Amino acid sequence: MEKELLQEDSQIIVIILIAILVLLLMAVALVLFFFFSRKKIIATELEKATLELSYQKDLLHSTIETQEEERKRIAQDLHDAISAKLNVVSLSTNVLIDGKLEKNEQAHTLQHILSVTTRTLESSRRLAHNLLPPILENFGLQAAIEELCDEFISSKKVKINYEIKYKDLLSKSNELHIFRIIQELLNNSVRHGEAENIRLKINETNEQLDLEYSDDGKGFDIKSVNKNKGIGLRNIESRVEILDGKLSYHSEIGNGATFNISTKKPQP
Amino acid sequence: MDFNFFSLLNVFTITFLIFNTFLFLKSFIKFGRAFKVLSCYLFFVSLIQLATIFVAKILHKPNLFLSHFYFISQFIILSIFYRILLKNKFILYLLLPIFGVLTYQYIDDPDIFFRYHAIGISITQSILIVYAIVYLYRCLQGENLFLIVNVGLFLYLVSSTLIFASGNLIFNLNISDSMNFLLINTNRILYFLFQILIFIEWRKNYYKKIPKS
Repeated sequence: MEKELLQEDSQIIVIILIAILVLLLMAVALVLFFFFSRKKIIATELEKATLELSYQKDLLHSTIETQEEERKRIAQDLHDAISAKLNVVSLSTNVLIDGKLEKNEQAHTLQHILSVTTRTLESSRRLAHNLLPPILENFGLQAAIEELCDEFISSKKVKINYEIKYKDLLSKSNELHIFRIIQELLNNSVRHGEAENIRLKINETNEQLDLEYSDDGKGFDIKSVNKNKGIGLRNIESRVEILDGKLSYHSEIGNGATFNISTKKPQP
Repeated sequence: MDFNFFSLLNVFTITFLIFNTFLFLKSFIKFGRAFKVLSCYLFFVSLIQLATIFVAKILHKPNLFLSHFYFISQFIILSIFYRILLKNKFILYLLLPIFGVLTYQYIDDPDIFFRYHAIGISITQSILIVYAIVYLYRCLQGENLFLIVNVGLFLYLVSSTLIFASGNLIFNLNISDSMNFLLINTNRILYFLFQILIFIEWRKNYYKKIPKS
């Protein structure tokens, strides 16, 4: 056999065998490369899916949290503004029924009941108005935002410079999201940022809606906010997400905050 | 001794191939189109293997002409197999002209039948290798339908192309049978490995599995 291998003709067979071996080795290397790449790609995709899932979970949590917070606020408002006052009315009426009062005292109590009822009525109207402003339903987003800004201006705490150009790009439910976002931004600026001047610009083009918002309040630290977002900011984020829009914000401590939101016209 | 071992291996490999064919044909109806085409491939190859044994051992005549049926039926059936896996019509467009050219060659020079058709084997097997690589690439994203069979086909086709293509050359060389068998035995080992991979595929993915709708 060894002698045969050394023969000239046999050398060709040896060369062919070596060539086959080399080809086979390369093919095996390719297959191994493929399997390792596949493993890596699948692992990356899994990681991505997990990340997305945790984000969705986070969003769900914040939605529930917001809902609970809102319920608490409404309960508090109902208790403070309505129950407490109706209690007063009830007490005063009882005193009247007893009939032990003198005429001028009766008149005074009735007057008191009337004024409390009027205030309660006003409070309940305001409460309902805060929950869902009727103006949004009846006169549209532009009027509702303008009224909202005017309310803040009339509180004398803040000056708002607004410029709103809006017709009917978004659906009614999406308009409500925009309204809530602006409400949240204004509340944040006044309550947490203690801003004195706010600038709001809304511009509608054929394809999209751009919202620019800036204040001169205390501002916040972007890094720490990214780690631990408050309910307000998460609320804004999830609403922008529902609108399928883009949100970017910038802020520095002591230098106010800027928010830019843009959302495209929904595809029919 | 050496010779005995490899002829035993050969008998075992052919039995293994027929066994695999039986396993695949047994669940022929249960699984999808690609499974059916692969079953057909195994069935044809088994028939050709049995025919080679029949012609050589019983009729005592040269059986080389059967190699043409082997590689042409392999090319047609595996092209359909990859057409289903890769979902690409281009494979069919390529199948027809190549089949046409090969047919023309046989009509033009019928003597080819009694030689190794080195160019035909190389071209058809190379095209199948390209399909196998493209399918490997597709599988990167997690698809794993017939992945093991594909790897087996790829490895076997890559190495066997050179063995078959050098067939004519070896016949013309002045060498002993034992040297000649060196290549044939290499092919036998590779084919045995290929059969193992086909069996693993069946055992892993089609043994006691609820059929895909």
